[in-house]
Amino acid sequence: MTQVAKPAPGARKLGLVIDLDTCVGCHACAVNCKEWNTGGEAGRLPDYDPYGSEPDGVWFNRIHSYESGADGLARTVNFPRSCLHCENPLCVTVCPTGASFKRAEDGIVLINTDICIGCKLCSWACPYGAREFDETNGVMRKCTLCVDRIYDQTLPEAEREPACVATCPAKARHFGDLADPQSKVSQLVSERGGVDLLADLGYRPTNKYLPPRQAQIPSTPREAPARSGSGVGAALLKLLDKALSR
Amino acid sequence: MKPAASILLLTTLTGFAYGLLAWIGLYGVAGASGAAKTLVLAGTGIVLVLATLGLIASALHLGRKERAWRAISQWRSSWLSREGLAALLTYPIVLGYAWVEYRAGSTVQARLLGAAATLAALATVYCTAMIYASLKPIRQWHNPHTAPDYLIYALFSGATLLALLRTIVFGTAGWAALLAAFGALGALIAKLAYWRHVDAQSPLATLASAIGLAKGTEARPLDAPHFSENFILREMGFQIARRHAGKLRRIALALGFGLPLLLSVLAALDVLPLLSTSLAVACAALGLLTERWLFFAQATHVAALYYGRSI
Repeated sequence: MTQVAKPAPGARKLGLVIDLDTCVGCHACAVNCKEWNTGGEAGRLPDYDPYGSEPDGVWFNRIHSYESGADGLARTVNFPRSCLHCENPLCVTVCPTGASFKRAEDGIVLINTDICIGCKLCSWACPYGAREFDETNGVMRKCTLCVDRIYDQTLPEAEREPACVATCPAKARHFGDLADPQSKVSQLVSERGGVDLLADLGYRPTNKYLPPRQAQIPSTPREAPARSGSGVGAALLKLLDKALSR
Repeated sequence: MKPAASILLLTTLTGFAYGLLAWIGLYGVAGASGAAKTLVLAGTGIVLVLATLGLIASALHLGRKERAWRAISQWRSSWLSREGLAALLTYPIVLGYAWVEYRAGSTVQARLLGAAATLAALATVYCTAMIYASLKPIRQWHNPHTAPDYLIYALFSGATLLALLRTIVFGTAGWAALLAAFGALGALIAKLAYWRHVDAQSPLATLASAIGLAKGTEARPLDAPHFSENFILREMGFQIARRHAGKLRRIALALGFGLPLLLSVLAALDVLPLLSTSLAVACAALGLLTERWLFFAQATHVAALYYGRSI
């Protein structure tokens, strides 16, 4: 149903905790996500013009890199962006067909692509840009939290985690039950001050992000490379530089 | 937001259709007789044609058109579903109203069905408006102007059609032209108030809050996830022709509201009523399409923040 069912008492809240302090921005999570989900139960994740000049396609996870702060404390923040499996998912309630739904038992937000009409309204309702239109099949697609992996009894227990988490070489991605205060992910959130993205909008995302730690040692800006000045001396040096560069 | 032609056509055509129906229904309430009955019958025919064209246009927007029927199931939470349901429920009401008028007119049934037609028309337009007004990530839509504005534009465009219809049936537009003139004035004021409102808004969020950094932290995009455009950028990061926005706003004002106002006043004064009311309809249609294009093209979505766009 499109209406969000109240989670059962004691229901789990499965989600990711992403550590922006240790994420190195290698895109391995996005690549493994694409790899798993193009071959898994979710079916093919289409690519358009994959070897052309304007490659495009559906990805559940996209990695942005930002720069924050200024002067000696400036730093790079790598930021993986995917569905946050919100507790207040407007993407679900706007859906006219009931294709978009949030599971009562574990909170995973999914799309039933068999009944989705591809009206794209859910993508408009999501402030995180987590839903993408599948041009090939005419339906919307999104992160499934690897629902076909985390419950697969034929996999060794250690592998029953989302593909993005399994592959992260920096161990910046953590998967678990955020309803259980004793779980590893909940502990991480409380220790590191995990935050909701765009909390003011009121979507109450399940996934949390651990903010980058404060830089302890300011790095002094590197000396600016020497630039040639003006005048006769500089002109001679320029000439010399040209001659030597031949 | 990307102004898809199908959605611009849908909202403009259904605006004309349901706006006209809202006025035509009142004929039944007041008790139409004689030539007014002809007008009601012709009007309901036009309503059915325009609304159906609009709904066909909206179906063209879907990725899976053959599944369109599924869209009416989630009326308890989805405004899109409610819009579909209201549009479908309007059909039997319009047909029943036309039938009763054709058979007798001025009966209790005609009054009731006329009132029902007016209410159904307004309800459908309201549902359409609420699809946009309920979307929290888009500040230009999620505000108190959107819903009343859609109703005002619908009633205005319907009134221009009514004036034309009345001229064809009675040879003079009469009070319907005054209605269209007041509608144009109301729509003009509503649009100016809307632009004033959205131009004064501040962005809904900052890049820092979008990526979980502390409030007040400065953040700048360094590397995008991909080199080419993707769905998110095409749909939510629409920027084409934004630089022409100022000019297009003036065109929408003049064509959509100014000229129809002038032409309706001429029609009310019985100056070439057929020509002036026809031109008023044509100008209103082009102007409202321009206005609707701007409503989309100038709307910004929070998700575009991730790509360093200003919202």
